[in-house]
Amino acid sequence: MTAVTLSEARPARLRVDGRLGQFALLVPALALVTIFFALPAIYMLRMSFNAHEGGQSYSEAWTFANYLRLLTEPIYLFSLGKTFLLALVTAAVTVVFAYIFALYLWLQRGWHKLVFLAIALCPLLISEISIIFGWWMFFPNNGVLSITLLQLGLIEDKISLMYTVFAAIVGLTYISLPFGIFILLSIFDGIDRRVLEAASDLGAPPLKTFAEVLFPLTRSGIVVAFSQAFVWTIGTYATPIALGPDSLWTIGLEIYQQMNTWRDWPFASALAMVLILLVLGSMALTRRLTGRDVTHHV
Amino acid sequence: MVWPFSQSDLFRWLHAALVTLIVLFIAVPVAVTAVMSFNDASLIRFPIRAWSLRWYLDFFSSSQWTQALRNSLEIAAYTTLVSTVFGTIAAYAFTRLRFPLKGAFYFLVMLPLFMPGIVLGLGIAIAFGGVELFGLQLYGGKALVVVAHCLWAMPLTFMVMEATFKTFDERLVEAAYDLGGGPVRTFFEVTLPMVSTGVISGALFSFVISLNEFVMALFLTTRDTQTLPVLMWLSLRSAGTPRLAVAAVVLAAAVFLSLVLVMLWYARHVRKLR
Repeated sequence: MTAVTLSEARPARLRVDGRLGQFALLVPALALVTIFFALPAIYMLRMSFNAHEGGQSYSEAWTFANYLRLLTEPIYLFSLGKTFLLALVTAAVTVVFAYIFALYLWLQRGWHKLVFLAIALCPLLISEISIIFGWWMFFPNNGVLSITLLQLGLIEDKISLMYTVFAAIVGLTYISLPFGIFILLSIFDGIDRRVLEAASDLGAPPLKTFAEVLFPLTRSGIVVAFSQAFVWTIGTYATPIALGPDSLWTIGLEIYQQMNTWRDWPFASALAMVLILLVLGSMALTRRLTGRDVTHHV
Repeated sequence: MVWPFSQSDLFRWLHAALVTLIVLFIAVPVAVTAVMSFNDASLIRFPIRAWSLRWYLDFFSSSQWTQALRNSLEIAAYTTLVSTVFGTIAAYAFTRLRFPLKGAFYFLVMLPLFMPGIVLGLGIAIAFGGVELFGLQLYGGKALVVVAHCLWAMPLTFMVMEATFKTFDERLVEAAYDLGGGPVRTFFEVTLPMVSTGVISGALFSFVISLNEFVMALFLTTRDTQTLPVLMWLSLRSAGTPRLAVAAVVLAAAVFLSLVLVMLWYARHVRKLR
């Protein structure tokens, strides 16, 4: 009798204070994202309806003026369009590179695989600013590319790819490539490699194997990798202005400009809201297309 | 070895050639920067004619640059501590509990990781720009940069730890309770050692993210608190010197060193488990 009460009483007591205690463990993380992310986001939403007059950063109001300005003034529309296009192109290039590399990684074994994994990890460990600086020394007139080609006798005059959209896309792709590789590798690792043998035994040519076997099996990975690269590029600030032409003025730059030069908090907030919407939109689209959450798949 | 395009040597070679190109693409900025850091000239010029350590000396004797390095390391250390502790305990409870809106909790905690740094930086800057705490101006201080970096680092540690705790054998905790261990003692003596690999990887991710991040730091620091990547960015925008290459190498070395330390720890850990 006593044994029964003991064994029943103990777990019951543990469950009660254990559960409460465990809920308490969720609080610090929840507080951090609420206080420093959710509340500032809500505050920015409110701020985006305020007015900006005179020397003050903002004045209380309820107006759609900031959003109207964004949607009617050509320079902001262009900036938005260019940022969107830049993110799309970067995401496409990233997916192609990542696919080629992940496919190769998937087929390797042993130390060879480890070496290529380490190479894929490399861009992830380097600061964006160091990456920018590296390409900044590679592309210009007196840069490594131009001098090397000149010394090899491949060109007559110095060339510069600096401050071109191409250079900006190279820099941005470099940053999002490792994420693409690891997302796709995780998909490849779930595929039985014998499907390829089967396809080739049945006489399928390589392109057909890719189109009818590999591509359908990796479709969701491609979508998630694309969405990931898009999301990381859409809010970019530094790389396009450092490597690209002056005309490649992204939304991220515009936000910084509005905040630091014009002190226009409401308009900067409206621009930030657009970025948040674009990120949420692409996450929702990814979920629709793959049935997966982007957040479950870094 | 299974090769998808085994019938066709052309495809095989094409694939190898493309992979080589991608490896070169990854190597270029790293190699160029490393080489430039040993340049003797006062300007960034190619080809390099004379080699020296002069810019390393210059970097470590400049109080502005060493101060920026110290700021970076300090902010990264606090970010690692906060995000590892918060992420780990939250993931522990999250995997054990069932509650309504569990999906919403997960989404909210993970969401900042997908937000552009410029958006997070702007939000914190306008929400906390004028806030004073105990007579201290929050804005421009390191604490605000730490919490900003935690918005990226904590979701990552949470994600890593959630995956780790999912594979964790719950019966071990029950056994510890049956043997009379309290919840706190059980957590530190049973649970934590079993998931230490996850904790260490999460901590490493946090450290690296904070050390390398610079858009939020650009928004939230002043001249006194600026981090190394911020100083590098500002100096690149005015005029690049080989000193920047040294700074990039130093930053990468700090990341690499933490990686090596973690790998050494892991090797010892595996030996101990045997």
